[in-house]
Amino acid sequence: MKEKSLLKKITGSREALLVVILILLFAVVTALSPSFLTPKSLMEVLKNNSVTIIMALGMLCVMLVGGIDISIMSTAALSGMTIGMLLKYEKISSTLLAFVIAIAIGTLCGALIGLIISRADVPPIIATMGFMYIYRAMAYLVSNGGEWAGAATLGNYKDFANKSFLGVNSILWIMVVCYLFFFIFMKWTRTGRKIYAVGSNPNAAEVSGINVKNIKLMVYTMMGFLAGLGGAVHVAVYASAMPDLQQGGEMNVIAACVIGGVSMSGGRGTVLGALLGALILATITRALPLIGVSALWQNMIKGVLILVVVVVNVVLQRIADNNALKGREM
Amino acid sequence: MAGKSGRSINNVPEAPLKKMILSWEGILVILLVLVNIFCAFYSEFYNLSSLLRQMPIYLAEVFLLLPMAYILVLGEIDISVGSIVCLTATMSCIVCNTGAPFIVVILTALVVGAVCGAVNGFILTRFTELPPMIVTLATQIIFRGIAEVVLGDGGSISATNTEGLILLTGKVGQIPYILFLLVILAVIFAVVLGKSTFGRRVYAIGTNRLTAHYSGVHVQKLRFIIYTVMGVCSGICGLFLLSSSFGANTTTGKGFEMDAIAMAVFGGISSTGGKGNLAGGIISALIIVCLRVGLGQRNVHAQVILLILGILLICAVALPNLIGQARRAVKR
Repeated sequence: MKEKSLLKKITGSREALLVVILILLFAVVTALSPSFLTPKSLMEVLKNNSVTIIMALGMLCVMLVGGIDISIMSTAALSGMTIGMLLKYEKISSTLLAFVIAIAIGTLCGALIGLIISRADVPPIIATMGFMYIYRAMAYLVSNGGEWAGAATLGNYKDFANKSFLGVNSILWIMVVCYLFFFIFMKWTRTGRKIYAVGSNPNAAEVSGINVKNIKLMVYTMMGFLAGLGGAVHVAVYASAMPDLQQGGEMNVIAACVIGGVSMSGGRGTVLGALLGALILATITRALPLIGVSALWQNMIKGVLILVVVVVNVVLQRIADNNALKGREM
Repeated sequence: MAGKSGRSINNVPEAPLKKMILSWEGILVILLVLVNIFCAFYSEFYNLSSLLRQMPIYLAEVFLLLPMAYILVLGEIDISVGSIVCLTATMSCIVCNTGAPFIVVILTALVVGAVCGAVNGFILTRFTELPPMIVTLATQIIFRGIAEVVLGDGGSISATNTEGLILLTGKVGQIPYILFLLVILAVIFAVVLGKSTFGRRVYAIGTNRLTAHYSGVHVQKLRFIIYTVMGVCSGICGLFLLSSSFGANTTTGKGFEMDAIAMAVFGGISSTGGKGNLAGGIISALIIVCLRVGLGQRNVHAQVILLILGILLICAVALPNLIGQARRAVKR
């Protein structure tokens, strides 16, 4: 009984399974289209999906406490649009300042959502739905009724996404730093473990002295922080800011988390899983046109994939539960 | 945990009139009157006939509210309806363009909607562990994905055979058909939810699913029926959208699910299940429609209306909770 077979280990660990799927995906796509596995193409994949990949971290935390946040892309639009307009009308010119402003706006937006959810007991889906409307409308108002900030008006800022630091693209640096921070934070710090505790059983967490309300507030504030960062990154990568940027993108972030094994009822999910989920989604989006599938089929395949992943997950869980029951029989 | 406000045992029975006004529906009716007064002052064109003339564009969404109320009372959520609307509008437009009799077009819309709803219902009842939010998120992407594939590279289709569609936009006197149909359906849905055994069972499931199951309610059968009806109503919505815009594209019905949920929640139907009634939802839908017509007449941008909607929504849920907390704090 002690020695688990390799197969069992792989099917037992969600992350291992996802790594296998990702490698298979890479192998298939590379076999069909060799241009996929080049550094330039891979960089492109990462850059185009950087917003989703970064925000998946925040969504992981939110979903870990059993919540959901569908306002994130509106927050990103508000912060991205604000720095876009500030740069356009030359109120600021420093790239660093633009990032700080975007993150500050995002954090404030997130904190407000967190306050409403934790203090007024509004269900997360309803509260974030309201703020999805509000922040998107504010992004529109900030843009003077639909103005764009194009590449020509963004000054130095638009070069940020093409700059390299120590030989690695700056956008990639942001992602790496975010993921390293969250990996350590979620695994080895007290606050990170508290998030898991709240998600697994809020009542037990409350009784054992965790301030559940503050943890919830913190989680949504972190989500806001990352959404603000995501807005700034979007403006940098696409070299444009418009009020409807990333509209509907929140579903991609949620999908990435779900594929990565983050449970919607809270308490289950890892940073690695979120990353792998986001990468699988990104790879598929990039791969379909490369292997000759029309872009029209993209969404349908994405949807079917999410459905298959969650259903397979349930089936595996049922088998595992059955085996556990059998193990207990005399 | 916060108690469900208004349900505490030591509620003293109040005078009926006062109780009626102080209930959530009473507040909504007052708000509806206020919104109408505001609109009449804000826009010089705002009166009953202009309201009836401009209403139909916004009314199609209200069809989604009716079954969405059931789903919310169940304590669940369906975010795929916007995509079902898109798919039904696309499919019925294609059938319409082949020159088929109009009844076939109507049937197509209803059947496509029903099938989509049944798919949701089948997955959700077969794999009960899955949260509805995730399943309908996936089908949201799939249904719109199918519509995108069907629509092809152009991403849009326009109706060439508009005879039947024009029929749908007809009026009796000043009252459009869509309003008649909506009122009839609203009454049926409200009575079934409020007065019938079926409706009481929906509340039972929403309050406590396990208890309902043990007391002999066919939980999964009921859920399947409700999700299928949700699909059918999305089909009706898609049909009316087609009749008002004579075409469909990949963004048809985008965000409708959120609007329907917002109307229901603003109407006092709790998204945690087991609470609220359709009367509130319908009044809140009327408020939103009147607001859209009134502000639209002065060319206020749709985003500003959404801003107001968002603030109203959050206040509608947050304020009662905060007031309840304050009351409990004072009592202590």
